[in-house]
Amino acid sequence: MLKELYQYRQLLKSNVRKEIRGKYKGSFLGVLWSFVNPLLMTLVYAIVFPFLLRSSQPHYTTFIVMAVLPWTWFTSSLAQGTNSILVNGGIIKKVYFPRSILPISIVTSGLVNFLISCIIIFIFLLFSGIGFSINIIFLPLIILIQYFLQLGIILITSSIDVYVRDAEYIINFFVSLLFYATPVLYSLDMFPQKLSMIMQLNPLATIISSYRNIFYYQTPPDFLMLGYVAILSLLVLFIGIKVFNKLEKGFAEEL
Amino acid sequence: MKKNENEYSIIVNDVYKRFKLVYDKPFTLKERLIFWKNTKVGYHEVLKGIDLKIKQGETVALIGVNGSGKSTLLKLMTKIIYPTKGTITTNGKLTSLLELGAGFHQDFTGRENIYFNASIFGLTAKEIDARVQEIIDFSELGEFIEAPVRTYSSGMYMRLAFSVAINVDADILLIDEILAVGDQHFQDKCYAKLEELKRSGKTIVIVSHSLPSVKKLCDRAVWLYKGEVREDGNTAEVIEKYLEVCG
Repeated sequence: MLKELYQYRQLLKSNVRKEIRGKYKGSFLGVLWSFVNPLLMTLVYAIVFPFLLRSSQPHYTTFIVMAVLPWTWFTSSLAQGTNSILVNGGIIKKVYFPRSILPISIVTSGLVNFLISCIIIFIFLLFSGIGFSINIIFLPLIILIQYFLQLGIILITSSIDVYVRDAEYIINFFVSLLFYATPVLYSLDMFPQKLSMIMQLNPLATIISSYRNIFYYQTPPDFLMLGYVAILSLLVLFIGIKVFNKLEKGFAEEL
Repeated sequence: MKKNENEYSIIVNDVYKRFKLVYDKPFTLKERLIFWKNTKVGYHEVLKGIDLKIKQGETVALIGVNGSGKSTLLKLMTKIIYPTKGTITTNGKLTSLLELGAGFHQDFTGRENIYFNASIFGLTAKEIDARVQEIIDFSELGEFIEAPVRTYSSGMYMRLAFSVAINVDADILLIDEILAVGDQHFQDKCYAKLEELKRSGKTIVIVSHSLPSVKKLCDRAVWLYKGEVREDGNTAEVIEKYLEVCG
């Protein structure tokens, strides 16, 4: 499978480019929307939530921006990725190419966006006076784990969506539910030990907390939890590949 | 033994293909749950036990009336769909021309589409760079190559698509009934190019109703009749028998 993907790397490349460029085609700000959008969301949260939570978190805007951005990567990848096979139905019926290129290019274009938006996080760190620490070297590791987790999930959801079109809506619901179960707007240590342990079963909780550790608290991530999430991600990816390989054979007939 | 295997470009081994015909297809979960017993399902057996071995360098025509399973067989060979039973093995890089311009982006220019389309066929940027001039020349589009594809006439569109596909340099070329488009001049050019590919040892499988051109190009013809191979052999003989029955 990897060999074939390597052979088709040009397709992957041009697909990623198309995803990044084509998404905001016809709008004035174009690609900039990928960054303006999460920034505006951050702004809204930063204004509203301090009132609701009476949060005493210093630098609250910086505190949430480093969670909103990876969260945006997750939700937008999931939403577009789940659809990726369906919207490309026309071409799937006519030409052979490794179908997994489609979900892979969605997650990868999201990755590129996220890497660029890391600059926003850096700017916030700089201007809030928090600054940087050596722990930033763990950033690639966290990103990689999130990438594999998302890819695994999307391989499953995109192939199921072809057969049961409800998948999209069910996933939308779970994503909005997950938003509240993931420490994007708050931090896990607001909760009693036991509860926060349960919440950490959600792999995204650990991933988001890890970003916050290295940027905001300037400590290394919790390697025990991150290790658990890394194994889980690889497991999800493995299952994703299996499911996708099985279901892709029927794509052209089902679409 | 190993060499023997490599001698064949395509091996079709006892292939059955059954399409599920679902009336009122349940796309949503609700429909699936409520109507899970009521969905009318019919089966349509398109291919019934096809055995076919195509040698490297052979030029094979698939002929038969509409609905005899020619296009389905071609789609199976490209791996767009998969057999219900049996196996298909292909040996070497394969390009299929089932529908021209599949994957063209209307807003992209002809040149950009060459890159996009060729990458769908599995070429790398470098390989495309090396071929792009040849493709443009073959398509005879001239300066229009820099214009968006949506401004093209259907003839120009098809010429571009064919030029890309035929210059991909695949070992196996599968073509489905597409040479009928284009003017006489371009058609002649396409056949000349196919002759050239044939001489260079490529394997070509072609579905066509244009019997005279098939007779000229192919060494072998396979007549499919209701999902089975009815006749297989020398092109002229097979066509003659075919015309006796279906002509």
